[in-house]
Amino acid sequence: MNKLTQHLKTVLAAFFLLLACMASAQEFPEPMQPRRLVNDFTGMFSPQETARLEQKLRRFNDTTSTQIAIAVVPSLHGYAPNDYAQRLAEQWGIGQQGKDNGILILLKPKTRDASGQVAITVGYGLEGVVPDAIASRIIRNEVIPAFQQGAYYAGIDRATTVLMQLTGGEFTAEQYARGGGNGIGWFLLPFFLIVFLAPLFRRRRGNYTADNRGSHGDFFPPFFFGGFGGSNSGGFGSFTSGSGTFGGFGGGSFGGGGASGEW
Amino acid sequence: MKKGYIILIIIAVIVIGIFSWFKGTYNSLVTLEEGVSAQWSNVENQYQRRTDLIPNLVNTVKGYAEHEQSTLDAVTSARAKATQMQINVDDLNEETLARLNAVQGELSSALSRLMAISENYPDLKANENFRDLQAQLEGTENRIAVERRKFNDTARGYNTAIRQFPRNILASMFGFEKKPYFEAESGAEQAPEVQF
Repeated sequence: MNKLTQHLKTVLAAFFLLLACMASAQEFPEPMQPRRLVNDFTGMFSPQETARLEQKLRRFNDTTSTQIAIAVVPSLHGYAPNDYAQRLAEQWGIGQQGKDNGILILLKPKTRDASGQVAITVGYGLEGVVPDAIASRIIRNEVIPAFQQGAYYAGIDRATTVLMQLTGGEFTAEQYARGGGNGIGWFLLPFFLIVFLAPLFRRRRGNYTADNRGSHGDFFPPFFFGGFGGSNSGGFGSFTSGSGTFGGFGGGSFGGGGASGEW
Repeated sequence: MKKGYIILIIIAVIVIGIFSWFKGTYNSLVTLEEGVSAQWSNVENQYQRRTDLIPNLVNTVKGYAEHEQSTLDAVTSARAKATQMQINVDDLNEETLARLNAVQGELSSALSRLMAISENYPDLKANENFRDLQAQLEGTENRIAVERRKFNDTARGYNTAIRQFPRNILASMFGFEKKPYFEAESGAEQAPEVQF
């Protein structure tokens, strides 16, 4: 009998421990499985929008190793947006270790009785190219105006594009502050050329080596250009095949730089 | 003769064992202490960043809010005090840290008063330069909070190491002293407020 109560106590203790773990996990959720850059815990974006953003950010990660991640959480648990974003980004380890080249865009959707919150937190290694004032301008000029009209995808799409230009060295912070940011199409042109030409080269090499493991299945990408002329970068995501897997976050560290805003 | 050799070998092994333990422990403590020093300079850098930001901020606000001279003066004098207060990591203890906290806390509250009155000046709030400065100040406050938290973590690791047996013997022999912690403080390290 005594032994039974002992057992019961152990089980209860284990249960409460589990509960405590779950509570802390809820405050700062673990990244979604399988690993991805767009972690939408609330369904703020449609599956298509999420896929498009994921494609865009994953490709940028593949070419530059800079990780721009998006997290949409239902609640900030009383933390200031900047504070929450830094803690979450540090916990997830966005960016590469040593380079600390990660950026997290944190979103808390607007609800009936609470305003929406957005924060951009910048890893140590990118503080020079994305200073606080610029992060704030991105939020004020790209994100908030679109969000106020309910155009969540457009706002985030624009913000990520600007962040990619800044971290990719396409623009300096000064140029952006002076009102740059309209050359998006030209910035992407080399990308498109590479993606457009790559299958041609691959096919040719395939012929030489007579290595024909289903290389007929190479996609033909002109459908790409459908979206190219329209919105500045909306067409990017219509690319649906040929995605590599995302290896996860690399252990980057965050110092709290960035900015926040609300809508 | 043979016995003498054996004793000699045993003594040698013991001496070598003690030496390597000393060496390993001492070096690991040095590494930990260096980590604390590095993290301390990160904290000071962020405080410095905030002090560097203030002249620009004060000048911008001055252009729009001349009537708030007392608030502006409070910020300027708090900044002057904070500039004088630099703590070398070797002088870091409970008392010096408390003094630093007091000085920086005064600056924090003077700044938050300044930001509060700026709410009354729509022209100022609409000024791009001011908004940039405001964003920089917010970012810097956040950075200070982060680096303080990281300092506490680093110091906690070091303090635990020097207090554990048998390392504590060596630590007290060579004067490895306990490092102080930053206390959670309103404004700098925000306690999460409860929301429903």
